[in-house]
Amino acid sequence: MEPLSDTLWDVVICGTGLQQSLLALALSRSGKKILHIDPNEFYGGAEAALSLQEAEQWVGRISSGTGGGLFRAAAVSRSEDDTRLSPSRAYSLALAPTVIHARSALLSQLVSSRAYRQVEFLAVGAFYIFKPPQDPAQKPTLARIPSTREEVFSTTAVATKSKRLLMKFLKFVLDYEASPQRELWQPHADAPLTDLLRQEFKMDAELQTYILTLTLSLDDRISTRDGLAVIHRHLSSMGVYGPGFAALYPKWGGLSEIAQVSCRAGAVGGAVYMLATGIKETESTDDGVKLLLTSGDSVKARMLVRADDSPNHNQLSIRRLVAVVDSPLSSLFEAAVEGAPKPAVAVIAFPVGSVEEASGTESQRPIYLSAHSSDTGECPAGQTDALDLALQAFLRAVPEDRVPKVLFKLQYDQLDGGSESLGSHGPVFTFPTRSSPLSFDDSVLEPVREVWKKMMGDAAVEAEYMVFEDREGAVDDDDVY
Amino acid sequence: MADSNAPKPSSSVKLVLLGEAAVGKSSLVLRFVNNDFQENKEPTIGAAFLTQKCNLPTRTIKFEIWDTAGQERFASLAPMYYRNAQAALVVYDLTKPTSLIKAKHWVAELQRQASPGIVIALVGNKLDLTNTGPGGGGDADGAGAEDSGDARKVTTEEAKTYAEEEGLLFYETSAKTGYNVTEVFTAIANAIPETSLKTARGPGASHAGGRAEEQRVNLNGPRDSNAKEACAC
Ligand SMILES: Nc1nc2c(ncn2[C@@H]2O[C@H](COP(=O)(O)OP(=O)(O)O)[C@@H](O)[C@H]2O)c(=O)[nH]1
Ligand SMILES: [Mg+2]
Repeated sequence: MEPLSDTLWDVVICGTGLQQSLLALALSRSGKKILHIDPNEFYGGAEAALSLQEAEQWVGRISSGTGGGLFRAAAVSRSEDDTRLSPSRAYSLALAPTVIHARSALLSQLVSSRAYRQVEFLAVGAFYIFKPPQDPAQKPTLARIPSTREEVFSTTAVATKSKRLLMKFLKFVLDYEASPQRELWQPHADAPLTDLLRQEFKMDAELQTYILTLTLSLDDRISTRDGLAVIHRHLSSMGVYGPGFAALYPKWGGLSEIAQVSCRAGAVGGAVYMLATGIKETESTDDGVKLLLTSGDSVKARMLVRADDSPNHNQLSIRRLVAVVDSPLSSLFEAAVEGAPKPAVAVIAFPVGSVEEASGTESQRPIYLSAHSSDTGECPAGQTDALDLALQAFLRAVPEDRVPKVLFKLQYDQLDGGSESLGSHGPVFTFPTRSSPLSFDDSVLEPVREVWKKMMGDAAVEAEYMVFEDREGAVDDDDVY
Repeated sequence: MADSNAPKPSSSVKLVLLGEAAVGKSSLVLRFVNNDFQENKEPTIGAAFLTQKCNLPTRTIKFEIWDTAGQERFASLAPMYYRNAQAALVVYDLTKPTSLIKAKHWVAELQRQASPGIVIALVGNKLDLTNTGPGGGGDADGAGAEDSGDARKVTTEEAKTYAEEEGLLFYETSAKTGYNVTEVFTAIANAIPETSLKTARGPGASHAGGRAEEQRVNLNGPRDSNAKEACAC
């Protein structure tokens, strides 16, 4: 094996976050010489899934101010009862527990590139809304948000009059880009979605909240244009891969798994992988860049691709909390309809004002809690990991025999990168970084395609982007799908 | 599910290769799958995994063999690589003592992280470079390695004792001559407990157990068809 410094690399990719990993997948049949490194000891960057020990080390690094990237204010805690935690490796806690809607271009790319064969997809089940009790002596409750005609018919959570409005709205969204629907919403396009719901659909505050929740937006003033697009994606994703669910979650840690599978595809295609290796110095040369790696190696490359890790004016993008609880929360993970796969993820929305913060003020931002069952492979059987400040309220609301206890907690803030679009300085390309939203946003995929096009030059055929044959051995005549 | 008239039940088994770079992992697979060897050259596997059947008297084991794709070179194997592996070939080069230390590290790692019940075979490769192997002189003890032409640096005794302590299968092989290669895979196939087997499924499928299969969403399912249909599992 020749030393790294003897090769003139076509590209050095730094970081194994989703975008960099997808780039490695996209280039995996290009014959380009690729060195793929990551300063972390694990794959996935901001989308990684960590064992308990890795989470503790990661928090330590962020706290000491070294290599935290866009993460801040990280903290970790174990309950006194931590003997009930399984060994560290039995957990893989996803830093970005993003679900992927069936209509996402990410899934199409994973299918056409054949990378999906190594990923196990699980169904995302119901979306719930958290309802504080009317009377403080009572328990809060979780109401299922009906998002298909059948569900609207059968739900008991919505009054009959509201059902008609809801049905009318769902029908409207399914075809919202056509006429005459378009004429109805266009005048409100840049106004908050709630204006449209109130003025054109005569919805009351409660119904508006239901609809708003389907946008999965952290901004309760999401515009009509953006809100309708997200709800349309949700509704049209329903049933695409089987009855009763709209979104998928990759087993064993969500996007982390897709990063790992993509990097493996890169390696099978000949790319060289080095974890725990970052870039110490970058120097431009006539025909590319010269890099000094933290491993001490000095390498030359025609191109360098990395992700933006300089934060945008320290503006907080998202605050997250991952918790392992000692209950399977079975009631949340029941199949929606007959023949539907058993879901492994449920989403619970806490609308603005539904949780009282420690200071006594009501929550100012919507909070989403994504509950993952042990079927995700992220925690041992009988435990669940959940997200957010609303955790305690949620634990009181779940209809389980006893209030579940928190065994492990990991908390962190995540900032957005400063740049809005793909950065390009000579041979150095920088992906813009946004913290992953609750549901995968396809705009993440575009900069990857752009870099691929730059790399491939004249050889780039758009229609062949991420379209690969199965590699030898991967399919077998005996197997019938 | 393929329900041909096959008389014997057939099961698919994920097998992973582990060990230091250049000990001959890829070469062993190439010998087993294609009965081929490439001198002084890293064999290009170029596949996510290779499949090869192993016919036993009562059943057929179809190995899904995952190569490291070089990710072991800088200790950069991803957890998804050895997850759910039902068998592992941990390889060392018997002319290189440090490679046995690496192998022991991998065995420990598997015992910590892999599925319980994983079948591990410890394999000392490049036996053709010793004169105690087939074609060489001497007995299989590895004693008398002083003779010129014998590059053996790890005695059979040492590795075998360790393998016995850890409950591993143990073989010395040569990917170059093919000696003992099929034997290793057959021994592994025989050692896979009946209980951890299930009927052949799609490639890359998890082997975590029946329930997970029911839950798995098939992306080759009824995309764009009427949402009413159940997925084609
Ligand atoms: N003499 C000899 N050489 C071998 C044997 N197996 C592999 N090699 C050589 O050792 C080198 C590394 O083999 P490779 O299969 O790439 O090792 P890997 O990195 O573990 O996959 C190649 O040059 C092979 O030709 C063997 O049994 N005997
Ligand atoms: Mg190899």
